[in-house]
Amino acid sequence: MEVSNSCSSFSSNSCHSESSVNLSLSLTFASTSPQRDTRQNWPPIKPLLRDTLKGRRIISHGDDTSLFVKVYMEGVPIGRKLDLCAFSGYESLLENLSHMFDTSIICGNRDRKNHVLTYQDKDGDWMMVGDIPWDMFLETVRRLKITRPERC
Amino acid sequence: MREDNLEMSENVERYLQLDPRSAAISQPPSSSSSAAAFVSPANKSRNCNSPCPDHVLENVLENVLQFLTSKCDRNAVSLVCKSWWRVEAQTRFEVFIGNCYSLSPDRLTHRFKRVRSLVLKGKPRFADFNLMPPNWGAQFAPWVAATAKAYPWLEKVHLKRMFVTDDDLALLAESFPGFKELTLVCCEGFGTSGIAIVANKCRQLKVLDLIESEVTDGEVDWISCFPEGETQLKSLSFDCVDSSINFKALEGLVVRSPFLEKLRTNRFVSLDELHRLMVRAPQLTSLGTGSFSPEDVSQGEQEPDYAAAFRACKSLVCLSGFKEFTPEYLPAISPVCANLTSLNFSYANISPDMLKPIIRNCHNIRVFWALDSICDEGLQAVAATCKELRELRVFPFDPREDSEGPISEVGFQAISEGCRKLESILYFCQRMTNGALTAMSENCPDLTVFRLCIMGRHRPDHVTGKPMDEGFGAIVKNCKKLTRLAVSGLLTDEAFSYIGEYGKLIRTLTVGFAGDSDMALRYVLEGCPKLQKLEIRDSPFGDVGLRSGMHRYYNMRFLWMSSCTLSRGGCRDVAHDLSNVVVEVFGSDDDDDDDFTRDYVETLYMYRSLDGPRKDAPKFVTIL
Repeated sequence: MEVSNSCSSFSSNSCHSESSVNLSLSLTFASTSPQRDTRQNWPPIKPLLRDTLKGRRIISHGDDTSLFVKVYMEGVPIGRKLDLCAFSGYESLLENLSHMFDTSIICGNRDRKNHVLTYQDKDGDWMMVGDIPWDMFLETVRRLKITRPERC
Repeated sequence: MREDNLEMSENVERYLQLDPRSAAISQPPSSSSSAAAFVSPANKSRNCNSPCPDHVLENVLENVLQFLTSKCDRNAVSLVCKSWWRVEAQTRFEVFIGNCYSLSPDRLTHRFKRVRSLVLKGKPRFADFNLMPPNWGAQFAPWVAATAKAYPWLEKVHLKRMFVTDDDLALLAESFPGFKELTLVCCEGFGTSGIAIVANKCRQLKVLDLIESEVTDGEVDWISCFPEGETQLKSLSFDCVDSSINFKALEGLVVRSPFLEKLRTNRFVSLDELHRLMVRAPQLTSLGTGSFSPEDVSQGEQEPDYAAAFRACKSLVCLSGFKEFTPEYLPAISPVCANLTSLNFSYANISPDMLKPIIRNCHNIRVFWALDSICDEGLQAVAATCKELRELRVFPFDPREDSEGPISEVGFQAISEGCRKLESILYFCQRMTNGALTAMSENCPDLTVFRLCIMGRHRPDHVTGKPMDEGFGAIVKNCKKLTRLAVSGLLTDEAFSYIGEYGKLIRTLTVGFAGDSDMALRYVLEGCPKLQKLEIRDSPFGDVGLRSGMHRYYNMRFLWMSSCTLSRGGCRDVAHDLSNVVVEVFGSDDDDDDDFTRDYVETLYMYRSLDGPRKDAPKFVTIL
């Protein structure tokens, strides 16, 4: 096959052999070439770093998404880890947490009877859960804390 | 004169090839007067039993050459004449092999008889980014087998991108009674079982550094395998080991390691556990802080005084870790900030407001690694304080092409204006301008390493819309000490003409999604005389471009080209014309049998070799 000589220039249009079609395809669509599988290889980040950070943010490409955050209840020494992507919104989150810690948890209203859910955002500040839309919450949440009723 | 030496060192292998007999010398390693017993081909006219002038010279030379440590100097010395070659081989204690396939282990053990330290590198760097199928090679096994027999006094092994098994580590631990230092960087194939054997058997162990390696969890309590009693440990790094450890055993180990200076823990060590370690080892100079998050959140109840522990570490100059950090504990490191020379936040999602109070005190920082979560604002803070900064690396928190990108040319330019002593930069961003690159080239003349990754492929200057040619042109033109360059963004052949014209000291060049034609490759291969490592991906370079480097390839360590426009025929021609260069071609998948019939070459990896093609190539690799 005479691919090499006739197709050495990127702008050449005169190639007709099968390989050259593959070549121009892979060059026109500057993303991955057809032969390449979809393993992540761009940008050039080492897998160790990539995987470590993956657990802390949303990848909204339709990939496998998960966002694990730690959840503590005041007074309980051991925390739990929760995948927030498993929930559709605040309601299911609260329901699940209530089951997990075997108590009633609410968000928003400061209530003397119930535990209240708070979260730490990416700036390090502790906020009341439920103030912002769920999607935004997922972008910024870092940790969850269930406070004792009287503290609020 | 210096330049001549470097050039000569590049011809060292050629010299070796001229006289294969000289590779077969065997000498008892400890005796220096054995030169008298040796009959050298060069001395064929002499046949005396008493020490001849030549032999006296060799003795003198041996005593002098012992002081030469630089491998470039040694390579030059070995080319003077056969006698000098011999003596140099006898006095070389540290051997550096940049490509494990450039020679066979036997050649190493035949030439050098007194090796105490071995540095061995395997896979090319693009293997780090999933561009190489698994099981390609670079096995440590043949090397440990050969050195186990030849150098029982071996003390130090440093491996990078090698495949190391637990059996290899076991053989190492058993074969070298005086073994002192093991460093494994970007390696894989072994697990905690292998580490346990090394910990247990190497009683003189000073350094056990596992860096960015993949360590399988063999569910072995390897920390407990260190022997009882005082250890010689100076450095213990296991931050890449992603399995839990026996903390009590670690604490006991630290207590009985009085010489410990560097300790890098993994994410399974909590902040309170770290506190316990610090209290027991205030002499530490380098600390990997593990998770930097407390085990439990009993707020305020008897919480350890973390800041006091840091304050007590008066020698601490290097901090890393922060793998799952909790922001409110970050201020605990403040007492050591003024002394810090190296700070690695690259696993911590730190915002500008978290960074500013910390960095404000870091006047002596020379090395700073962080995530782009610090934003341009954080970089401005760094620029304002860190006047001694030599190395900056900023990694993307969200490494996708279309992500928001919290840093840009603004932070970049601020750094260039504030940190004039900058020597090395690695910067991931979404937006950049030629102006900022030009500014850095003028502000930071000491740059030796310049690596910019504009994550959007083919992205131009976001202000002018022009290619990034002028910016990179300014870098190569003004940074006269540049030895390593990685380019990105929209680049035409013009950028490469600049690189070829001005990049006279460049040894490593990384190119991706750049250039228009083979001319670009030609500019580089014809223009850069010092080029050693050339790694290219997804660029429109073909057989014509490849051929323009025929005069260079034997003097380079390797050439990597993936997803370019090479043909099998073109690569085969190169292989045919360069007998001392091994030309490997393979696809991205190891079960891609169709490649056999296709003419398109997915990946070309070629390198010089003294001992011909390797025998351990897997099925998916074709050696032309």
